[in-house]
Amino acid sequence: MEKPEISTKTQKNPFKWLTPRRLRIFREYSTAYLMIAPSTILVFLFGIFPVGFALFVSVHKWRLKRGNFVGLKNYVGAVGDIAYLGVFILGIAALVFAFLQFKRVYRQLNEKPQHFWFLLFPSFLQGAATLAFIRWTIILLPNILDIADKIRGVEKTRQLFMQLIREAFTAENILPARAQMLWLITAGLVAGLIVFFKWRNPDNLQHQAEIALSWITFGIGIVLLLFAYQEVMTAYQSAAESGSDPGIIPQLVNISGGVILLFIGWKIWQKAPQASTNRTFFLRIAGAFIFIVGGWLMIGEIPLILSSGDKDLWQGLKVTLFYALGTIPFQLSISLFLAILLFQNLKGSSFFRIMFFMPYVTPTVASAAVFRQLFSNRLQAPVNALLRVFGFEPLKWLWEPKGIFTLIADKMGLTNFPDWAAGPSLALVVIIIFSIWVFVGYDTVIYMAGLGNIPTELSEAAEVDGANKWDIFRFITFPLLSPTTYFLTLIAVIGTFKAFNHIWVMRLPASLETADTFSVVIFTEFFEKLRYGYASALAFVLFAIILSLTYINNKVQGSKVFYG
Amino acid sequence: MVKTKKEHIPFWRIANNIFTYLILIIGVIIAVFPFFWMISTSLMSLGEAQGTRLIPSQIHFENYVEAWKEADFSLYLWNSVRITLITLVGQMTFSILAAYAFARMKFPGRDLIFGIMLSTMMIPGMVLIIPNFLTVTWLGRIGPLKWINNWPALTIPFMGSIFSIFLLRQFFAQIPDELFDAAQIDGAGHFRFLLTVVMPLSRAPLMVIIVLSFIGSWNALAWPMLVTNSPDWRPIAVGLLAFIDEAGQMINYMMAGAFITIIPILILYFFTQKQFTESIARSGMKG
Repeated sequence: MEKPEISTKTQKNPFKWLTPRRLRIFREYSTAYLMIAPSTILVFLFGIFPVGFALFVSVHKWRLKRGNFVGLKNYVGAVGDIAYLGVFILGIAALVFAFLQFKRVYRQLNEKPQHFWFLLFPSFLQGAATLAFIRWTIILLPNILDIADKIRGVEKTRQLFMQLIREAFTAENILPARAQMLWLITAGLVAGLIVFFKWRNPDNLQHQAEIALSWITFGIGIVLLLFAYQEVMTAYQSAAESGSDPGIIPQLVNISGGVILLFIGWKIWQKAPQASTNRTFFLRIAGAFIFIVGGWLMIGEIPLILSSGDKDLWQGLKVTLFYALGTIPFQLSISLFLAILLFQNLKGSSFFRIMFFMPYVTPTVASAAVFRQLFSNRLQAPVNALLRVFGFEPLKWLWEPKGIFTLIADKMGLTNFPDWAAGPSLALVVIIIFSIWVFVGYDTVIYMAGLGNIPTELSEAAEVDGANKWDIFRFITFPLLSPTTYFLTLIAVIGTFKAFNHIWVMRLPASLETADTFSVVIFTEFFEKLRYGYASALAFVLFAIILSLTYINNKVQGSKVFYG
Repeated sequence: MVKTKKEHIPFWRIANNIFTYLILIIGVIIAVFPFFWMISTSLMSLGEAQGTRLIPSQIHFENYVEAWKEADFSLYLWNSVRITLITLVGQMTFSILAAYAFARMKFPGRDLIFGIMLSTMMIPGMVLIIPNFLTVTWLGRIGPLKWINNWPALTIPFMGSIFSIFLLRQFFAQIPDELFDAAQIDGAGHFRFLLTVVMPLSRAPLMVIIVLSFIGSWNALAWPMLVTNSPDWRPIAVGLLAFIDEAGQMINYMMAGAFITIIPILILYFFTQKQFTESIARSGMKG
């Protein structure tokens, strides 16, 4: 019924290109965009934009209200002079990445290399337009933020708001950036259209976008390098005024040189087995060894630089590390054991599963509150009462800032136990116990699912061949479970950095912040000390750590995990 | 040979089973003891609760009444419920629409947009919490709608959920194309197809989203702590934490409050036990 109607319409239509097919495609596209619009806008507003906003906050002095631009000061305060190196390396990485992208697109276009050179210019304009747009938003953002202050105490009307918005967009400080952006966007569009009509090939559009993306990365790299340079120069200037030498540049040179040496050494090491004769093999190994030792010597300075950073941050990282080491291995081995026991098709195994899973579903604040009482420092608290039944002395548990090994050493009569060997504080140990208690049920359920995926033929065949239960576990079950183990480890490591609720409930002033993991440190900076800029910088340090851990995890997954 | 082996098996199996059950029972005791202690302490008098008793000599139900009166748990519970419901309505509508478009429609930039959205799952919450707090305060100051201390700040940021979109998209993509072709021949467009064919088929993933949403809002602590400063919209976790800090030495009231908090989730757990376990196992979320 519908079809003839549309075709008559389009026959009369002066826009000949608007064929029914195109109209239908257009309708399909716009419906799809409308359908994803609400989610996309929300995800952008609360998931993507905040990353840029947090970066913006982190380079300002920002206590409740926005203060001055301070550059890398917050980062230097957090991790020491490594911050400069970080920006420098990011800049270099962006340049390298851009170069690789260029090379990749060039290879794709290998039949017509002249296209690549022809596309280079329009995509440059488009990339520059994007960067100009980013610059414009960065300059615009403070204007927009200030609206909230201007509107304070005045009656909120639509008119006033529109007027303030208009003022924010046309304020003098952003006009040059806006003109630049508009020119570049126009030029980029025109150039893109010319290219498009010259070849009329959708592939070219994609190549153009890819080259533009490489240009953007390139631009970002340049900006980062300039920023690092400028920051180092200001640091030198302020140091010169006070008459001291910050020594940043020698540090940078040393460390980057060390990293390069390590990289070369590693490459030689990898290539050594390909050597044709024994002599070249040993020469290569020796060369790699020299490079690696030299590299390590040169980056040996890092701990020294890092120690000039924030004490709270290192304390937080140490606590997080203890927390991870204390929870993950125990949690995984207990749950693997339970899963294997439960997997024998016993009567009532679903009852056990339900019970083991219960701690995990319980709202954390409630269960943490219970643990706060179980492990209280009172003499009559359940755990202390149990200790006394067995004739031990009661402990202060969550109230105890002392390290667990120090406590053990004290018990054994050792004096002068070194601080570095103190281990996690007893308060943190309680939190670790709580986490194991919570997550064993979850891990067990996942392990049981993993066990269910292992074909029984293998273990049956092994049994016929005379393997005992331990052999079957060691050589069949455990290797085949490695994807599950990998998944659970990854979740647990990421969870360690996210862990917040239970620690927030169980951290008591008496434990002197010995139980504050990294997220808790960030949250207290933000929520209690109201240092928004500094807390954002810390959050980005956390982000960097999580990213590198994920990267390492992926590498490990490639080599060690066995997918049956 | 074979016979002697067979004779031995029952004995070993019994020993093995006894050992297994012993370990499992110890495990259950460890898993359940905190719950047992919480319930039993919540029924004790203050003196008994501070002592070493495990079972109350006399049951004091009035602890619950006291805890309820002192901390206004009915308000907190109601807040959590309505926050969850508002979030769920928004999140489900938006996610279903977006997931359908991502799974079954073709449009330029689809994979790019989806990829960008997926990559945001990597970003740690601590990076987002500060700028989001600033955004929400700003929105509240300039707009007619109050955000802080009101439902928008607690619900709207969670309505765009990449996890739900991802889950639903995976499910929608599995629905055979023939169904859609048949519906199209019958004259149904995308929306009719979505409502009459896709939705009834996807009860399982929707259930997952509902369960996770409930757990999420029962656990939410950091964000609500930031954006509420009075009990009006304070959800249960924040309310309970405030109550615990105020109750001081009144352990019996504290435990009563904790148990009140847990009840709704435990009921949900025991009734939808299977889906519950599966949803959480599938989500791979931690604390």
